[in-house]
Formats: sequence, structure tokens, C-alpha cells
Amino acid sequence: MAETTKTNIQLFINGLLNENPIFRLALSMCPAVGISTTVMNGLLLGVAVIFVQVFSSCTIALIKDYIHPRIRIPTYTLTIATWVTVIDLVLSAYFPVAYKAMGIFVRLIVAFAIITMRLEVFASRNRVITSFWDGMGMGFGFLLGMVVLGAIRELMGMGTLLGYDILGFRPLLFFVLPAAGFFLIGFIMAIFNYVEIVYKRKTK
Amino acid sequence: MREIIKITIALTISCLVAGVVMGSVFIVTAKAKKHNEHLNAQQTMLGLLGYGKAKSAPSGLKLYNIYRYIITESESKYLGYMLPVKKGDRTRYELLVLDLKGQFVSRHSLDILPEATIDPKDRKTALKSVLTPPVTITYADTTIVASLNDKRIAYLLPGEFPGFKTFIKAMLALDADFKILGLEIIEHEEDPGLGGEIEQEYFKNQFKDKPLEKIKKLKVIKEPLPEKYRKYLEKGKWKKGTFSKEDIAVIQKNYQDKDIYALTGATISSVSVTNGIRNMTKKFAYRIKILDKVIASRNVPVSF
Repeated sequence: MAETTKTNIQLFINGLLNENPIFRLALSMCPAVGISTTVMNGLLLGVAVIFVQVFSSCTIALIKDYIHPRIRIPTYTLTIATWVTVIDLVLSAYFPVAYKAMGIFVRLIVAFAIITMRLEVFASRNRVITSFWDGMGMGFGFLLGMVVLGAIRELMGMGTLLGYDILGFRPLLFFVLPAAGFFLIGFIMAIFNYVEIVYKRKTK
Repeated sequence: MREIIKITIALTISCLVAGVVMGSVFIVTAKAKKHNEHLNAQQTMLGLLGYGKAKSAPSGLKLYNIYRYIITESESKYLGYMLPVKKGDRTRYELLVLDLKGQFVSRHSLDILPEATIDPKDRKTALKSVLTPPVTITYADTTIVASLNDKRIAYLLPGEFPGFKTFIKAMLALDADFKILGLEIIEHEEDPGLGGEIEQEYFKNQFKDKPLEKIKKLKVIKEPLPEKYRKYLEKGKWKKGTFSKEDIAVIQKNYQDKDIYALTGATISSVSVTNGIRNMTKKFAYRIKILDKVIASRNVPVSF
């Protein structure tokens, strides 16, 4: 893939819809299924991913010319790990309230496939500004996916949204369990694919 | 060959750079982080004693740490208590050694400042300097005694017990008669939505106000939590005045002697917390009674 020709806004929208990390690329499914039990969890993990994705993308875009092609993956992993550690430490030191809520999520991110994949496919071939927007798009796409999943699972599983009682009863406890996460992701994936098919047919 | 050397050097350099970045950030933030952790623990403790934003802690309130160590000296075991004692106006630490039957063995003054006892390394050096070498010292636990105007009002017990997945870290507050004042779950990895509910008010507050006699036989019952009781347990969420005094009296009368209602879909987590709390309270009540007896018989001028 050569350097991208898309504008910044297109890159951002691309991450949100066309290449949504969860529903279109089907990456980072494990954390998506495991964590998206409530809206709050999804939101916090999403925010953490945005930060790490954007910082790592920019770093790799900056130093891409100096990376030996044979060791690029270890370098990406190192970059992500460094940023995760830095964010974790800074949060715990200067933003104790945010750290209390986000701490465990930040540490999870080292193992996220979506970030490594974005560094390999995009950031290592593009300039810093475009990489920044791609990182933002991917991060917000992940956030969107997590919040949608979290909202459905929380509402169906516990009858609440953001901790506030909405339904007053628990419709299906099953939705809180990991298995329901897979069903739900599959279902939303199907909707995304269907919309794409319809859209393509119309433009033909 | 040249390629391999190139790769090795490149990898080493990237690792070094990453290491330097992480290390320097760690050094810069270490102090603030430690301070935050200390502040957090302090806040949890005060919260359990009923002080917080709405009601600040009175100036007469003091928290003293007691450290318990297990001292092994060639086959025989002793218990060592590091206690804060009064020396004139100041607080100093002393080591009180008891045998396993609760009989007094020896007493040593420790050369350590009260502020320095927070660091386990400093404690160990101070202990090693008074005990003769062929002994091994193992840290057991810490108890915090809260005293208000030189009167003991509460004990705070940080503890750990096995949960459904990993260990659950909690802090328990008991009053001077070992009635539970409050429970705080500090760290756990139970399933969110199921076992994770142990950190919710409606579960934690069920332990509140249970006396020692009840705790000794505390069980988990698998019945749905009555809606009225649940609302009362979560009373922090509602406006002031939602419950009249009569309401509270009725609810307390109905549910005070009940066991703990298990969480839906998380019986094991509920049982492990209940058992953990029961064991912590039982063991602590037993130990502190022995310790108090020795303190009284030897006239140790303890601060609390």
C-alpha cells in the first residue's frame, strides 16, 4: 500500500465506519468481548485505546525511516509497551481519580492487535499528520464499537445504562457473559455487511 | 552475517531507548504515585470510620499501625508485635514478643521513627538490630487502631482472601467491641456484572452493624434480596430523609440478625467474601484480646 490519498476527515470517517476495528476488521475481539459488559467499561477502554493508538501511530510515523524492516514488529510492540507504561505511570501519579477508573484498562492495551496492525499497515507508510488522523479514526471507531456493545449488553443484562436503572428489572442475565458478546458482535457485523451490500447495489 | 549483526544492534538500541524512556518516566512519577497511594489508603480508612467530604475527621483522631511478625528461632515460633508506645510526648515503636500460647517472652525498644514504619525495609532493619541473628522474621499483617482523644474507637484490618478467580483485597473496620463498622473492597478480579457486584453498596453494607457473636456464625443464604432492604442498603444514593427513623428501626429489626444474601449468579464470590470476613474478624478478636492482656500485665505504655 502506498501513501494514502484520503483527506484527514475521510481517514477519520474510515476508522469509524468503513474499517471499524471491531465490526469490520474483527480485530481486538478478545478485549471487546471481555470488557464491553457496561457502557462505562467500554467508554474507558475506548478512551485508553485512542490515546495509545494516536501516540504510537505518531511515533512510528516519525521514526519509520530508521526502523530495520526485519525487526519492525518488535519495534511496534516496544513502542506500544512504552506508551502504555508512560500513560499508566503518568495517570497514576497526576490523575489519581482517572487512574482509579481506567488503570486496569490501560495495562490491557499492550496486547491489542488493532494497534499493531494499524502501525504496520498505515503509520509505517504515511506521514505524521495523516497517521494522527488515522489513529484518531481507529481509536474513535473502537470507542464507538465498545459503547454500542456495552450499551446493549448492559441494558439487556442488567437493565441499567451507565449505572442508572432504566428498565427496573434484569431481562437476560446471559448478556453479561462473554458468550453473548460474541453473538452480539456477530449480529452487528451482519448489519454492517448488509448495509455495505445495499450501499454498493445502489451506487452501481 | 552483517545482516544479523545489524538487526541485533538495532533491536538492542530500540530496547535501550524504550527502557530509558520508561525508566525516566518512572523516576519522575514515582514520588507522586507513592503519595497518591498513601492518600488513597488514608481516605479509605477515614471513609470506613464515617468521615469524608461531608464530615471531616476531628483533630483528636489518630491512626496507629500495629505490625505483626512471625519470628522463627530454631524450630520454635514466636509472635512479634511492633507497637507504638508513648515516650514522653513522642511516639516510639517497641517490639513485644509473645509465644504461641500468648505468654510474654521479651520486650525491645526499636530505633525507628513512626513515619518510617510504613516502609517494610526500614521495619526489617530495625527488627534485625534487636533480635539475635539466627532468627528469621516473616511479616504477617498490619492492623490500624483508630483512637479519638486517646480512646480506642475502631480497628481497621486490611486483609486478603481467596475469591472466585484470584485474591480479593479488602479493608474491614471493627469498633472496639468487634462490631463491623464497614467493609471496603479494595481490589478484586471477579466477573463484572456477577461476582464484581461485591463492590456494590447493597452487598458491602449487609455486613454493617453485625456484632461479633453473629459474625462467628455468619453464612450466605440463597434468597433474593428484599427490595426494601436493598433500597435501605443503598441509602447513600437517595436523598436525605427518604427513610424516616421509624422505617430504619423497622428494617434494622427485621434484617439485623439475617445472614448475608448471596449475589445473583455469584454464590462463590459471596461465600468467599463472607468466609473471609468471618475468619478475619474471629482471628483478630482472639489475637487482640491476648495482646491486650499482655500489654496490661506488663504495663506497656501503648499509644492507642
